[in-house]
Amino acid sequence: MAAEDLENGEFYLRYYVGHKGKFGHEFLEFEFRPDGKLRYANNSNYKNDTMIRKEVYLTPAVLRECRRIISDSEIMKEDDNNWPEPDRVGRQELEIVMGNEHISFTTSKIGSLVDVQSSKDPEGLRIFYYLVQDLKCFVFSLISLHFKIKPI
Amino acid sequence: MASADVEAVDFEPEEDDLMDEDGAAEADASPRAPFPKLKSAITGGASSSLSGGPKKTKGRGFREESDRNTRLAGSDFDSLKSADGPGPQRSIEGWIILVTGVHEEAQEDDLQNAFGEFGEIKNLHLNLDRRTGFVKGYALIEYESFEEAEKAISAMDGAELLTQIINVDWAFSHGPIRRKNARPARERRSRSPRRRY
Repeated sequence: MAAEDLENGEFYLRYYVGHKGKFGHEFLEFEFRPDGKLRYANNSNYKNDTMIRKEVYLTPAVLRECRRIISDSEIMKEDDNNWPEPDRVGRQELEIVMGNEHISFTTSKIGSLVDVQSSKDPEGLRIFYYLVQDLKCFVFSLISLHFKIKPI
Repeated sequence: MASADVEAVDFEPEEDDLMDEDGAAEADASPRAPFPKLKSAITGGASSSLSGGPKKTKGRGFREESDRNTRLAGSDFDSLKSADGPGPQRSIEGWIILVTGVHEEAQEDDLQNAFGEFGEIKNLHLNLDRRTGFVKGYALIEYESFEEAEKAISAMDGAELLTQIINVDWAFSHGPIRRKNARPARERRSRSPRRRY
């Protein structure tokens, strides 16, 4: 991706993973907005846990790093056509607006690389699988350093 | 549907002024527009002209119903209270800076050595790439005082660490990013210099 795309243009990212079950709707979701606002929500009803909802404004430097992680992954070239569909076990959603591309991918929960390998699009799903982990790691660091909470 | 319009305002990427959180909160309490309407709010409008025409969309998410609008919407998100105005925001126990361009084989010690001279490092996150196991390329560092963090930024931004140029900046900000190219026309006009006679 060209350097100018990292600096300019629109950017939006949202990731969701969750399921509805015995403990209600349990999910983790975060969002990077174009104005720099990071929103983070983690709802676990297990043992009457309450919802964690945090928000903080990020500097352009942090958004730029987020964009770099995404463009390095080349996720925008992928397609979720042949990925496992969301099911009762769970659902993931990854929505990204970058430059003039807008993806909104959905799939089931991925337990491990075995699920990736046995899918119909292991190469694409592997990119998704690792990108999601890298993004979560980035967000958890930001949230835990800023608020001094353990995000998970 | 009226709520669709309200939502469009909430997600308008062009919006570069301080957001009216209270106003947005009331809007968020109203019944949500269906998923596709929100999409068009993100992609559509004047913003697409910035990045050259309409967006290419891809993925099942555009064709499925989702209840996302009830989740990240709303105003009851916790945030740290801070002074008004631009500039870095203090985190709950200190000041966080972001280092980018970190060499993939960097160790925590390398960052300790480079950044420890500006003050005691209270926290250091040097996250790894989950696929390769190497450093992902960034580090987050916490100092106790504003002055320490500021010194680290001015001394280390653009410096070389393990053969790579690193960039160093604040991680958190008081308010939204102001986009230079997204000002409303009337505001641009009001800023033009006075005419000389």
